[in-house]
Amino acid sequence: MLQGLQDSAFSLWVVGSDSLWAYPTILTLHTVGLAVIVGAAFVIDLRVLGVGRDIPLPQMRKAFGVFWTGFAINLASGLVLFAVDAVHKAGQPVFLVKLVLIAMAITITARIRRIAFGKTADATPPPGAARSLAAASLALWAGAIVAGRLMAYL
Amino acid sequence: MYGFISWLESTGFSTALRNTTWVWPTCESIHFVGLTMLVGAAVFFDWRLMGFMRQGPIAAAKAFMPYGIAGFALNLVTGTLFFVMRPSLYAFSAAWWAKMFFIVLAGLNAMLFETTLGARVLTLGRGEAPPASFKIVGCVSLLSWFAVLYFGRMLPYIGTGN
Repeated sequence: MLQGLQDSAFSLWVVGSDSLWAYPTILTLHTVGLAVIVGAAFVIDLRVLGVGRDIPLPQMRKAFGVFWTGFAINLASGLVLFAVDAVHKAGQPVFLVKLVLIAMAITITARIRRIAFGKTADATPPPGAARSLAAASLALWAGAIVAGRLMAYL
Repeated sequence: MYGFISWLESTGFSTALRNTTWVWPTCESIHFVGLTMLVGAAVFFDWRLMGFMRQGPIAAAKAFMPYGIAGFALNLVTGTLFFVMRPSLYAFSAAWWAKMFFIVLAGLNAMLFETTLGARVLTLGRGEAPPASFKIVGCVSLLSWFAVLYFGRMLPYIGTGN
């Protein structure tokens, strides 16, 4: 199945085309999406940890919308990047590590949204549990980025 | 310039770094983490300058900037190392020059903002619409950073000079 995915007409166009709109653009979208997702998570986590604490927490709910937009870009571009190189990537342990770190980081971000930015959130400091989650989120995203980058080498 | 590039590439420092296999992937990893810090903090502040999230004081949005500048510092160091390791790859790349152009544009834009409008920022009240000048500065910064991302990632594919 992985081989079939990789040999599909679409995959062959993506890797075979000389067009900048094929592989290079999809790769670039994945980097732009990365900046959007992790940039949003970075700002959310810093706010939970006490940076810019004069910004009311409900004001920052939009950052979660930005976060999910970045996630949609990277899910779509990531599926294509996987499809064109499915056999190799499916066998890369570092790819699995990346996926696990992303799953953990996303779960944590969703949890932060519930406990620190929910209906009852106001200008008071977020609960202590949210602070630990925010610190974990920063570490997990950094780990996911490193794992993603090392996919080109390991 | 050609002489400088080939001299740099032939120095012992450049050669030693280039021949140490873990240096390049490590710098790339740090460069990507740094870009998320820089883009996250800078775009957040740009967004606020453009008039979004008005109930949050602008000075508080600015409190994120030192973390963005830390990301920029990481990327300046790792980016300089990339250049030292493979100067000919970058110096003759149109995409690299475009990337540098947008970094300088973003930097000048930020300096202009700090020197002329910076003090006014702190007087802007909660919920108050920002003046057009703030919106323009925020918009130029936001677009510049995405252009930096674009040309950085497209570097292997656009105008490689060979």
